[in-house]
Amino acid sequence: MNVYLLQVVNGVGIGMLYFLLAVGLSIIFGLLRFVNFAHGAFYLLGAYFCYQAVQWGMNFWLALVVVPPLVGALAWLAERLLLRRVYDQPHEFHILITVGLALVLQEAVILAWGPLGSNVATPESLQGVVMWGSFIYPKYRLFVIAFTAVFAVLLWWLLEGTRLGSAVRAGSESAEMVTLLGINVFRVFGLVFALGAGTAALAGVLAAPIRGVEPFMALEALGVAFVIVVVGGMGSFGGALAGGLLIGIVQSVMSTLWPEGARLMIYVAMAAVLLLRPHGLLGRG
Amino acid sequence: MRALREHGGLLLAAAVALLLPATLSSGTLATEVLVYSLAVLGCNLLLGYTGLLSFGQGIFFGMGSYAVGILMTRSGLPLPAAVLASMATGALVAAAVGWFAIRQRGTYFVMLTLAFAQLFYFLAYSLPQWTGGDNGLLDIPRPPLSLFGLAELPLDTPWRFYALVAVCFLAVFWLLERVTASVFGRTLLAIRENEARARAVGYDTRLFKLAAFALSGAVTALAGAFHALMTGIAPLSNIEYHASEMILVMTVIGGTGNLFASVLGAAFYVLASDWLSTLWPRWLMLLGLLLVAVSLYMHQGLWGLVQRGWRLAVRGRAGAAAREQA
Repeated sequence: MNVYLLQVVNGVGIGMLYFLLAVGLSIIFGLLRFVNFAHGAFYLLGAYFCYQAVQWGMNFWLALVVVPPLVGALAWLAERLLLRRVYDQPHEFHILITVGLALVLQEAVILAWGPLGSNVATPESLQGVVMWGSFIYPKYRLFVIAFTAVFAVLLWWLLEGTRLGSAVRAGSESAEMVTLLGINVFRVFGLVFALGAGTAALAGVLAAPIRGVEPFMALEALGVAFVIVVVGGMGSFGGALAGGLLIGIVQSVMSTLWPEGARLMIYVAMAAVLLLRPHGLLGRG
Repeated sequence: MRALREHGGLLLAAAVALLLPATLSSGTLATEVLVYSLAVLGCNLLLGYTGLLSFGQGIFFGMGSYAVGILMTRSGLPLPAAVLASMATGALVAAAVGWFAIRQRGTYFVMLTLAFAQLFYFLAYSLPQWTGGDNGLLDIPRPPLSLFGLAELPLDTPWRFYALVAVCFLAVFWLLERVTASVFGRTLLAIRENEARARAVGYDTRLFKLAAFALSGAVTALAGAFHALMTGIAPLSNIEYHASEMILVMTVIGGTGNLFASVLGAAFYVLASDWLSTLWPRWLMLLGLLLVAVSLYMHQGLWGLVQRGWRLAVRGRAGAAAREQA
């Protein structure tokens, strides 16, 4: 079978995880005009909570359902107690406070679980590979693609088809106008922040059996999420999906062509997209 | 009095450069304070004077380290030439990054600079024949400084190297003071305050921003070059995300829009981290809490705190004098 086709399918798997990572960041930015440098830390928490749950002999599936809302609730608290108070400040303070929060969370993870990484076992029912003729693919990765696709549809429906979604989209056009229409925009902010962080945590849970956990995984995730948001266009759901898949496939294909430079090529792809479309693939100018 | 007002910052900077050897026992630590002061000055020029929040200062810092490392180990150039060439490299790279990044504004701009920081990190990682990859460039020499072939200044001990760095630091500080007070510097301030208006008045703001980037890149690369010469290695960590983050954090902790504030921020960060890291390996958590506190309560940074204290002291003295008169 063609190696490149396999790498493209692999890239789709990575890309769906990247989409999960980036879409939360993108929605938070779209509504709150707030760059969240703690986004990677929520992904980190998701992965470590999953690790702990599996350590405790808890079912992976339970972790998948429980961990993201838990991290979302933590994020909601952080938004309410800290971040909300700097919204009207210049954006260096948005960055500073979230960088501070990310550091606190990262160090807390090291305090709790130590500085070294660990592996997380793949759930038993998803061990092994699927074979169709000469096409071989790990079961777990196939599950990640399918699960993320379903989740993406749900999220899309939440943003496009519900009242909360219209408040989010209207709020990203003009938060003031939405307030005048009688919607408590601060409540929406809190919910969206929790939703974004929870999505990052979900990416963390799903990634844990693939790449294991280590305390510095937040940073790599943050870098990738930023690139996807920049490539796809800020605040755009479709942009996060397109950007995530593009970056995932570029990384995966390049890792057979030039393994040391695979991650470099992510950023080269970003520069190329920006040269052609300064506002990203689906960004509005 | 007028001289004091015009050069107060430079005098304070000179005082710091003289005080460090008197109070610290480690020449390397003292050099580190000045090295990061230089890097923070470069960041402050962008953030405080032009309103550009760059998360990519580590690129220029790392490029400075690599440039001086490659030139000193392979080219046989004398040290001053290698340092100047590394500054030129920093300026060029900064102009290139700036050219991309200033097409966007605000938070989008910040994310772009961060993405570029990652790009250059992986570039350095992917080119081990130039950068040494994970190990870094090792064994960068620090030959004696030749003064026009007349005399040689040895740089072998930390304090001798400190003297060189201190002289360059003061020269750069003086230069930046001149730059920020010049028409060019005032135009940058105008861009920070209101870019649309600056453009309406007829300034090509893109050109000014690019120039600010290049200058910042040169100063930051100088800091990176000195760091590499100080430690004898140009490690991957000099171009990492953390270098960018650290420089930015020092800048905001010190306070923006005042040059001496940068020295204060760098000195505070370097000395506090040196002290705290011996007490508790997880001291970064304290730093995180400090950042949260600064963003909630201390927007002017340490320099703002100093100013407030100074004003209180002056008012107290004036009050006492008035009471005596009455």
